[in-house]
Amino acid sequence: MLLAHNKLKRTFQMWAAKHRPHQSQRTMYTKRRSDLLPALIFLLPGLVLFALFFLGPMLYSLRISFFQWKIVHPDQSVFVGFRNYQHALSDPIFRRAVLNTLVYTVITVIVKLFLGLGVALLLNQRLPGRTFFRVAYYLPVITSWVIVSLLFEYMFNGQAGLVNYALNNVLHIIPKDILWFADPILTLVPIILLDIWKGIGWAAIIFLAGLQAIPAELYEAARVDGANFAEQLRYITWPLLGPTTVFLVVVLIIGGLNAYVPFQLMTHGGDPMDLTHSVLTLMYEATFGRLDFGYGAAISYLLTLFVFLVSLVELRLMRQQAGAA
Amino acid sequence: MKIKRLSALFISMIVVLATVLTACAPAAAPTSAPTSAPATEAPKPTEAPTQAPTEAPTQAAAPVTIQYWHTHSDPETAQLDKVIAAFEAANPGIKIAPTRYAYNDYKTALLTAISSGAVPDVARLDIAWVSEFADQDALIQLDGTMPNFDTIIKDTFPGPLSTNVWKGHYYGLPLDTNTQVLLWNKADFDAAGITTPPTTMEEFATDACKLSDKAKQQYGYAEGGTYFWAPAPVFYAMGGKVTDPDITTATGYVNGPDSVAAFTMLKDLYDKGCLSPNLLGGGIATDAGHAQGNYAMIIDGPWMVDIYKNNYPDFKVNFAPIPTGPQGTTSSVVGGEDVVVLAGTKNQDAAMKWAAYLLSPEAQKMMAEVGQMPTLASLTGDPAMPPYFAVFQEQLKTAQARVPHPKWGDMDNAINNAYQRILKGDQTPQQALDQAADEINALLK
Repeated sequence: MLLAHNKLKRTFQMWAAKHRPHQSQRTMYTKRRSDLLPALIFLLPGLVLFALFFLGPMLYSLRISFFQWKIVHPDQSVFVGFRNYQHALSDPIFRRAVLNTLVYTVITVIVKLFLGLGVALLLNQRLPGRTFFRVAYYLPVITSWVIVSLLFEYMFNGQAGLVNYALNNVLHIIPKDILWFADPILTLVPIILLDIWKGIGWAAIIFLAGLQAIPAELYEAARVDGANFAEQLRYITWPLLGPTTVFLVVVLIIGGLNAYVPFQLMTHGGDPMDLTHSVLTLMYEATFGRLDFGYGAAISYLLTLFVFLVSLVELRLMRQQAGAA
Repeated sequence: MKIKRLSALFISMIVVLATVLTACAPAAAPTSAPTSAPATEAPKPTEAPTQAPTEAPTQAAAPVTIQYWHTHSDPETAQLDKVIAAFEAANPGIKIAPTRYAYNDYKTALLTAISSGAVPDVARLDIAWVSEFADQDALIQLDGTMPNFDTIIKDTFPGPLSTNVWKGHYYGLPLDTNTQVLLWNKADFDAAGITTPPTTMEEFATDACKLSDKAKQQYGYAEGGTYFWAPAPVFYAMGGKVTDPDITTATGYVNGPDSVAAFTMLKDLYDKGCLSPNLLGGGIATDAGHAQGNYAMIIDGPWMVDIYKNNYPDFKVNFAPIPTGPQGTTSSVVGGEDVVVLAGTKNQDAAMKWAAYLLSPEAQKMMAEVGQMPTLASLTGDPAMPPYFAVFQEQLKTAQARVPHPKWGDMDNAINNAYQRILKGDQTPQQALDQAADEINALLK
């Protein structure tokens, strides 16, 4: 009897232990419900603004993407189904724009990650003038895209540019001046270099924050165990920077896919021969240059879809990282 | 507990109200003020004197305000204010509210206004845009609706006027015009021992090569790019055509023998190093290169006078007509702006009055002082015109308008790409222009 009682008591305790989190969650939930109204009222202005200025226009442009849109008389617009999307996918100019954007994104993201990490490791040392270097590396980040784009365009001028002068007249690496912006592939060189130059500082600052969150004791322990710098980097720094790295990859890829300003300014909208568009400059030209709003909206949605898919993959990676750590 | 929750609710509501009120106040003000306010206040008064004779005495009618959008430069904008003052003095019931835009933002601004319905009453448009906007039903047809329309257009140059036609009707008036002529750097010519600018295309080609020295970044001729506007004067003078007059086909026109000859000549100059490679992109700009002596000849418009006055005050510009082609005729390309009345204006009568006034000899003369070339034939040779207008006005007699078609932008692109393929040697001029003809024909369908 006593035995049975004790057994039952244990079973109950086990049951209680098992279900306690549930119970506490339920009370939290009911508590949350009672607070829902004030919370909603607080959220309302934000939600209204979001619906009005983001959600509304997004849905409206989704609608536009299925029409041959008439801007003055939207009611006369012709429904064309998925034709705008088909047009984009079969358009060689769009495909080239996608290729340009992908090449740009892959190169800039990889280079910015590695150089950013390198700079962050240097800036994390106790060097004299550390603050100065931190500021210096971050300065390009806060400069205006427009100004530095124009500056790079001048530097890469085919007849009077500094870069040709250095390569041809000083270093004698090239036999004659290169017309950078006359060639659809070479045009990407200044665009990519500009983005790397401008973006290293930001990647470095994020890495630096990640580095400083790594407890110093780990390094001390590693040193006691005889780990050299490379081993510390391999077994402490790199794994512990995992979440930071994934975050950077996500944000940098989204930023790269949305590249617009340097492309628009340095290629003047796809020069030469519409071979140097990014997806967004092509979208802009289709919409506001040729007034083809349906096509422009379709391009926007294809880009959105792609960014969404890429982000999903990345978020999964991020969650795996978090689980591993 | 209960009281605490109530007070939380109360406080949150107050906070929300406060944020909503403060957030909305500044947000609402700027959107409504510049666009809709003058337009909505304005409409009724025009009709007020006639429709409400008992209450409102004619004198006391509030003035109608006409929104006028443009992309004038600084000196032109200052001069426009004088034109507006003169118009308002002559028409006491009408006020003109000008808004200036940067050229690159202008189309977007107009489209935004049109799609939201808050349109300006009158706008100055690039001549290449009129058919495009007319095709979107954004403009009011002027023949049949504008008082004295036929009298007004009778005195205008035919080239600029033709840019206002879409589907057999007029959707604008030619406001100002321009064309491109030859600019020759006298110092370069002296150094090469050439005394006068070329008068035929053969001379032009020979001179261009005589004036070139690739090693010194010295070229006899330079174009600003491969977009149609740049080679257009040479193209038209050589007898080139883009489409037939009725704009039904490009076959036999853009790839006809004259058009091919024009691009063959340019390709030849490029290969010999007599045409600067800057036109492919990313080189020395034509205006700077010409003034600094890198480019002995360029082809450009009347605005170069003011540009050089500001940027290279010591440089003296020399103009000459575009050299004549094999048929012995010169030609060039018509540029300029038209004035249009937008569909959706609530002050159509006053808007048309203002548009018509801009075409008056008085207004045209005032704008000519700052380099806007008048579109009225009767002002040719008028002593009020700056002397350098003469060569442009002479050139305008033979200058041709680009194809007035809503898809012109795409046609321009087709020729631009053909020119690129020719210069890079990917295709012969004939092959490249055959392809352009196919592309343009597809746009005309």
